[in-house]
Amino acid sequence: MRIQLNPEKCTGCQICENFCSFKHEGAVWPARSRISVLKWEEEGVFIPFVCQQCERAACAEVCPVGAISRDGKTGALEIDGSRCLGCKMCVTACPFGGVAFDPDRGRAYKCDLCGGDPECVKMCPTGALTFDREEKSALARKRQGAEKLARYIEAIGR
Amino acid sequence: MRYKGYIGKYLEVDLTTGDIEMKPLDEGLVEGYLGGNGIGARFLWDRVPEGVDPLSPDNLLIFSTGPLNGTLMPNSGRMELIFKSPLTGIYGDSNTGGFLGPELKFAGFDLVVFRGRSPSPVYLWIEDGRAELRDARHLWGKDTFETEELLQKELRDPGIKVACIGPAGENLVRYASVQATTTRSFGRSGGGAVMGSKNLKAMAVRGFGPVRIADPERFYEVAKRSHFGIRGNDIYPAVSRYGTPGIVSIMNNIGRFPTKNFQLGGYDEVEKINAETLRANHFVKDIACFGCPVGCDKIYRVDEGPFAGLTVRSFEYESIGGFGASLLNPRLDAIMKANDICDRLGLDVISAGRSISFAMELYQRGILRKKDFDGLDPAWGNMDAVFELLHRITYKQGIGALLAEGTRRAAAEIGQGADYYAMEVKGQEIAAQDGRAQQSMGLAHATSNRGADHLKGFPTIDETGYPAEAERRYGRQYLPEMADPRSTKYKGYLIKDGEDFAAVVDSVGTCKSGGNFVLAQIYWPDVAEAVRYATGMEIDEAGLKRIGERIYNLQRAYNALHGITRKDDRLPRRFMEEPNYQSTPEGSVCRLDEMLPEYYRLRGWDEENGLPTQGRLRQLGLDDVIARLGPRLKA
Repeated sequence: MRIQLNPEKCTGCQICENFCSFKHEGAVWPARSRISVLKWEEEGVFIPFVCQQCERAACAEVCPVGAISRDGKTGALEIDGSRCLGCKMCVTACPFGGVAFDPDRGRAYKCDLCGGDPECVKMCPTGALTFDREEKSALARKRQGAEKLARYIEAIGR
Repeated sequence: MRYKGYIGKYLEVDLTTGDIEMKPLDEGLVEGYLGGNGIGARFLWDRVPEGVDPLSPDNLLIFSTGPLNGTLMPNSGRMELIFKSPLTGIYGDSNTGGFLGPELKFAGFDLVVFRGRSPSPVYLWIEDGRAELRDARHLWGKDTFETEELLQKELRDPGIKVACIGPAGENLVRYASVQATTTRSFGRSGGGAVMGSKNLKAMAVRGFGPVRIADPERFYEVAKRSHFGIRGNDIYPAVSRYGTPGIVSIMNNIGRFPTKNFQLGGYDEVEKINAETLRANHFVKDIACFGCPVGCDKIYRVDEGPFAGLTVRSFEYESIGGFGASLLNPRLDAIMKANDICDRLGLDVISAGRSISFAMELYQRGILRKKDFDGLDPAWGNMDAVFELLHRITYKQGIGALLAEGTRRAAAEIGQGADYYAMEVKGQEIAAQDGRAQQSMGLAHATSNRGADHLKGFPTIDETGYPAEAERRYGRQYLPEMADPRSTKYKGYLIKDGEDFAAVVDSVGTCKSGGNFVLAQIYWPDVAEAVRYATGMEIDEAGLKRIGERIYNLQRAYNALHGITRKDDRLPRRFMEEPNYQSTPEGSVCRLDEMLPEYYRLRGWDEENGLPTQGRLRQLGLDDVIARLGPRLKA
């Protein structure tokens, strides 16, 4: 599973960043959050962005010591901190900024899906982040797309 | 600094010399005053004595966060700005939402204190523990939107948070705002003019550091409980969907929607400007401040007509009241335009709108004549004249120069009984909150330390009657009167408690509209817990109440230094003598004198002069206040 992003519902409140960083760093530290809300203020476009746990993961493939592997249970690509060299190849390889580097600890970090119960999803007030089976989320999007049609049919139907 | 939640450092910027000091935040100070509003009030008391002109270099301009800013608590993005007000001449403050406060803490500072006056325009650039003053001559004269955009380019970071003034602040309009990331405002009391008087155009902030918490586990639980409490509150869906414009129809229904400069309590064309119409015709998207699950802010767009293409945000009830009903203008797009002009020029929408409705009423009464308006037609509802007046106020042209002084000074200048139509208390214009239709609101305006204000006492539970919330907060014994907007009983208690609680909320850095007063989910015990676990300070509910009361008394004492006494706790005669027939068929006025004695008694203030007694000040640990105010205070 992955954290699904529904940017059209994002209000830019950054609650996800606050709770993510708190869970992982023990402090409110948006700059170290695994998830980030990117903002285009003028247009009112806010996009929450977080590692999508790629099927072919560049970060894992490029790691010289094999420190990045998939958790069998959650499906998250996790970094083994004890093996990480701090070489930052994963940071460079990820095309989405899904991996970042912690200069204090000298190692890379990324979203680990909080062991299967992601904090950001739990606290998101608008449904901009969801954590569901892929099939279910595809259906939800279809439903969203079809809503207008449903209302239209309802209006003229009887 | 032993306490968490705080960064423990603040900046003191001397604009005259260009010196910037980094100072440790004093533990005793935060124990006594928390932060935000409280620390700002203490700095004013200590360092800006009576006799200092608010627009002189000796005034302070204090950007101040609290221990909960930038934390997990819901709506922890609110920040204070404290200064001596050029509008009222007494204690002044203003508060903004958005992201500026948290960003300042992430950048490594709790407060920024400005003093002096720069020889030429400058801005302060704060980035991750460093600060420098930079030349702002190229920004001077630019509006707030242009200023932010230029700073984003200059500093090459779209993520910077900016507080800046527009031309109104530069030109020392007494109710100029400081805009925080353009559409959010430190609106009230004229902080923008203070900033302009210091030749300070802007403050830009960027930070990548943490806010640390003393007891992460317990704090997390309080924060989470507060989030889900707010999200489960009965009125959450409505507040979230409509924001503050949601109360337009509600206020109109109870005759509490000031119309035609408070000549009426309701507007017959309200359907054209209410939240439902706004949403149906202009809604684009929900947006939220830092850490806010409510998202009362929206983006609205005008698609057709003369203002097609106009986009506004942070478009609130007060703009709809001030530039709609109060001017007899039923066009939402024109209200949005006025709001946009105020944001860009850096004007407080409340005082600006009220200054114009004042001028229009003077024209209606024949006190001002057409020639006074240099070719404009100041007839009710003429929005072209309103747009032009906003510019003339900003650039102090013709009648604009007079209106830029605020209604109290303008009325004194005009004479001929103009003061009757100046809807202000202590020099601050009254928001769209009629104290005749809701008695407690009248008391709130009269006693607020920054002049007329609905947000200090912030009586929400008796607006339309929330007996359940009244019972939960105050107890069954105060019902039904406490929740009845027309009753004066127990309103002294309601306002005193509200003022103390608001002082605390504004000092910790959370939002009064998002959980503390509106969506009244979070109250004394919750804030006490949050502060205790965030900071590690030994504080309980009683201790927190004492701090709220201390802050409020210190502000009052500061005002007393400037000659404020009971005689100033009054309302415009219109509120006291001219019935509002939209509120009740028989007409209602504000019965202030039925409420004030209870208020003073609960405050432990002398009923005769309205000042804190020495005894109460001593209880609050304000012995130095006694020493300074001396014989003016009763035992």
